[in-house]
Amino acid sequence: MPLLQIRDLTKIIGRKTLVDHVSLEMEKGEIMGLLGPNGAGKTTTIRMIVGLVSKSEGQVIIDGIDTSQQFSAAMGKVGVIVEQPDLYKYLSGYDNLVLFSRMSPGVTADRLKEIISLVGLEQSISAKVSTYSLGMRQRLGLAVALMHKPSLLLLDEPTNGLDPAGIHELREHLKNLAHKENVGILISSHLMSEMEMMCDRVAVLQQGKLIGVHRLSELVQEDDTLVQFEVDRPELAVQVLQAFMSGAEITAGHNQLRVRLPKNRIPEISQKLLDSGISVYGVNTVKRTLEDKYLEITGGQGH
Amino acid sequence: MKLINYIRNENMKIYKRKRTWVLIALVAVFVILQIINVRAGDGGTAAADWRSQLEQENHRLAAEAAEPDALQIEIRQAEKNILLNEYSLQHNMPPETNAWSFAGDLSGNIIFAVSLISIIIAGEIAAAEFVSGTIKLLLTRSASRTEVYTAKYIAAILFGLGLTLVGLLLSLLFGGIMFGWGGLGDSYMYVKDHTVHQTPMLLSILGSYLFHLPFLLISVTLAFMVSAGFRSPIFAIVIPLFVSVAGFVIAIAMNGWPWTRFFIFSHADLSGYFLGDPAVKGMTLGFSLAFIGLHLAVMHLLSHTLFVKRDVS
Ligand SMILES: Nc1ncnc2c1ncn2[C@@H]1O[C@H](COP(=O)(O)OP(=O)(O)OP(=O)(O)O)[C@@H](O)[C@H]1O
Ligand SMILES: [Mg+2]
Repeated sequence: MPLLQIRDLTKIIGRKTLVDHVSLEMEKGEIMGLLGPNGAGKTTTIRMIVGLVSKSEGQVIIDGIDTSQQFSAAMGKVGVIVEQPDLYKYLSGYDNLVLFSRMSPGVTADRLKEIISLVGLEQSISAKVSTYSLGMRQRLGLAVALMHKPSLLLLDEPTNGLDPAGIHELREHLKNLAHKENVGILISSHLMSEMEMMCDRVAVLQQGKLIGVHRLSELVQEDDTLVQFEVDRPELAVQVLQAFMSGAEITAGHNQLRVRLPKNRIPEISQKLLDSGISVYGVNTVKRTLEDKYLEITGGQGH
Repeated sequence: MKLINYIRNENMKIYKRKRTWVLIALVAVFVILQIINVRAGDGGTAAADWRSQLEQENHRLAAEAAEPDALQIEIRQAEKNILLNEYSLQHNMPPETNAWSFAGDLSGNIIFAVSLISIIIAGEIAAAEFVSGTIKLLLTRSASRTEVYTAKYIAAILFGLGLTLVGLLLSLLFGGIMFGWGGLGDSYMYVKDHTVHQTPMLLSILGSYLFHLPFLLISVTLAFMVSAGFRSPIFAIVIPLFVSVAGFVIAIAMNGWPWTRFFIFSHADLSGYFLGDPAVKGMTLGFSLAFIGLHLAVMHLLSHTLFVKRDVS
């Protein structure tokens, strides 16, 4: 049974369709990225999953429990941070934890201790949250989201405001949770670079529509490699290559040309160019980044 | 059981803020101001010539009540005071203030002040969480929105009741320090049906606090309604403050007119049914309670629906 099932999730406000028949499934222990440009509907989707925003249409099933029918039972399995982790600033970090532990059955004082050291807040847990830095608030928010050992973690742009070290640490936390404790994590972002470092799959959302779910390993794997040759006479080189490998997609630039081909043909092609009297100064393989792929998927409107 | 935990949470959020304690301290200030008021008046102890003072007062009251532009409540109040003064003169009982009579007389004022302070707490209790964004975490735990709503309302009401108790105890304490704790065995005199009645002092104190509670209930519920339904702390404080003060004043000014039975604040003080006469002749306690219940129900119906149905974004 999938951990999270979303079926035809739709949100319509007035005449605007913010989320349009999104269907998605997620397994335990999986980190899924919800990727999309600003305004794509990522936050709205997450809010609908946890019931902050009503669904215009569709169904959300968490661990077999329909959230519309058994909201409390379903929420007991979910930890969530929507946009900023807004906590009670006038209370201490510890009081915040106590407060939310009373709303989650089975969270003991020992568990609180454990979670405090997990997020590394031992030093400042008795200080008021108003004195916390943004990164510390993120950690406290994570502690609140994790204290009841949820099987599904929903994070909306969790790296907002974190420094590189903090982002790295968060990434390690999440990987650990998913791979060691079998937690399913849905994490939204508008940065592909962020996703590729931790996600197993990415769901791409654009203008409220789900336009594809990709396994990252699939995206990275490419049969053909884009190869760039540095040459002295690119026009001539293009003619030579076109004759030699008809149908290939060849682009020429200033003193260089690019062609897509399997890696094992590079020596052969170089030889051909040299034989035609063209000087070859360099050969590079151009790695297509996921960022390029993402821009291609979203039609370049990502940024 | 779950609900008790949620109420504890709300209490924690109320009482762990310094601001709340400033508001509670305001009640102490209010009681002290009332003591100064009494002291500046008759000083709390009867003068040697108290008889002639009471007689003079009765003449003045009778003259005021006879004026053509006197309000109904003024006429009725004058009649009551004249009867009470005559009773004191006949039974040779010099008027004296002690802790008990002071606390009892203050009940209406204390509940009025407590209500205005409680409006601030009730007005913030839900709306402020929408402003700060904490509502998102609150509503994504395993509590239903109705449970969160109920816990918040109960916490707001408990704050008002607790503050009333603080007001009562402080007025007994400060009143005792200023006027002494003697006189607990005295009877409390009141006028009902144009005759003077009496009841044990302690009972009258408890009663008069109890009978004034509808005012607290109505104003706190109004503030909570705006807070939970419309999510703006400023509106949820300013509107109920204005409505409550206006309602209080209008209910006094319009006391005795038949149509005021359909004005909610005319039912905010039920002591007339027990320690006096009802605001409108023929109006019953049952009608008052039903009318209050109707208003509370309509307010909750509106705000609960909005609180549960509206999107949080
Ligand atoms: N209450 C609302 N009423 C009308 N439109 C709304 C409402 N809330 C959001 N929107 C619109 O819905 C769209 C999706 O918003 P959403 O916040 O879900 O996007 P997002 O993918 O999270 O974007 P970002 O990357 O900027 O966080 C936006 O165009 C936004 O303007
Ligand atoms: Mg967003």
